[in-house]
Amino acid sequence: MAADPYAALGLTKSATDAEIKKAYRTIAKEAHPDLNPDPVAAERFKTASAAYDLLKDPDQRRRFDAGEIDGQGQENPQRRYYREHAEASGHPYSQGYGFEGDPDLSDVFADLFGRRGRGFGAHPGAQDMRGQDYRFNLEIDFITAAKGGKARVSLPEGGDLEVAIPEGVRDGQTIRLRGKGGRGMGRGGAGDAYLTIAIAPHAQFNRDGNDVSVTLAIAMDEAVLGAKVPVPTIDGPVNLTIPRGATTGQRLRLRGRGIKGGDQHVELKIVMPPAIDEDLARFMEEWRKDHAYDPRKGGAS
Amino acid sequence: MTRHYTAAEVVTLVDDLTERRLQVFVREQIVQPLQTDSGPAYRDADIARLRLLCDLLEGYELKGDAMHLVMSLVDQLNTARGDMRALMHAVAEEPDEVRLRIHRIVHRLRD
Repeated sequence: MAADPYAALGLTKSATDAEIKKAYRTIAKEAHPDLNPDPVAAERFKTASAAYDLLKDPDQRRRFDAGEIDGQGQENPQRRYYREHAEASGHPYSQGYGFEGDPDLSDVFADLFGRRGRGFGAHPGAQDMRGQDYRFNLEIDFITAAKGGKARVSLPEGGDLEVAIPEGVRDGQTIRLRGKGGRGMGRGGAGDAYLTIAIAPHAQFNRDGNDVSVTLAIAMDEAVLGAKVPVPTIDGPVNLTIPRGATTGQRLRLRGRGIKGGDQHVELKIVMPPAIDEDLARFMEEWRKDHAYDPRKGGAS
Repeated sequence: MTRHYTAAEVVTLVDDLTERRLQVFVREQIVQPLQTDSGPAYRDADIARLRLLCDLLEGYELKGDAMHLVMSLVDQLNTARGDMRALMHAVAEEPDEVRLRIHRIVHRLRD
């Protein structure tokens, strides 16, 4: 019996039905046992007949081409790829893939799939289940976020929880409170609580990472002559030296006065006196006779 | 805000990476930088990938088809991990009755 019925007919897989029929007829003519007494011819005829029987049936031909049946029309045993074995539970080569030691999810993972490291299938009992994870949104003020502190959240089962806010927490950051979620069942541990932090804007301070910025109003005379003026920082006011001839938009830096060692940037803004009195007006008129300048020259107008 | 790096910057940033190795990785599409008007742009993920590629090359002498195979498996595993992480977080947040149902099914399928 030929393993490949196409080869038995001297053809390839691409042969048309007509070619298959023609090839068979040719062999039948040359090798028919009633016409040709040679035993080799008889064997050739037998093989070609079997091949033709298989290939003339479009369904059988399709199944042979797809590898579902062999050249004798027998079902091929389904090949089981390694993946089918490997995905099964209790597979001898199964391995952890990183959640067993995961600081966030090892408990959740073990709760669902057992502790793979200690022999697979070491599931907790059916009555044991870890508690629910809770998620909260918590809005805190700018200074608490900058310096750290305490806040309270109310729990779904009643009561509330005091939460330590770490120094320098960022807007949108999630804080995990281990074991502060729902109670577990049986020997299951408590779930975790996750707090997503929103930081309320501050009237004076702006924040960029660990740097803080403020806009500082200075008087005209302070700008002209220079001065030492108090400026707010997250740790209370400090004195800042305004250089002689300071101007609006100029940025000064207070190194290390930001969050967790960041800097504070102070942008100066010259504020005119509430009213222009006679003295000032007279002085300016005199002054500009000889000292007029064009602040729009050279820069962006 | 993602930073982009040029090929020259990448070669100085990544130990053991040479201009020639980078060209091979890109030609074989093991690394696929963004194509921009000013030439290929490498992201932080590309830099980290190139560090791993150089480690695999130096440590295991992986190259060609073997490197493709290993990186394909690494990428599949990490994608599966990311999906799994999201799914586990989602399950952990569900109330007890939902998680009990999920638990029973998982235990039945995996025990």
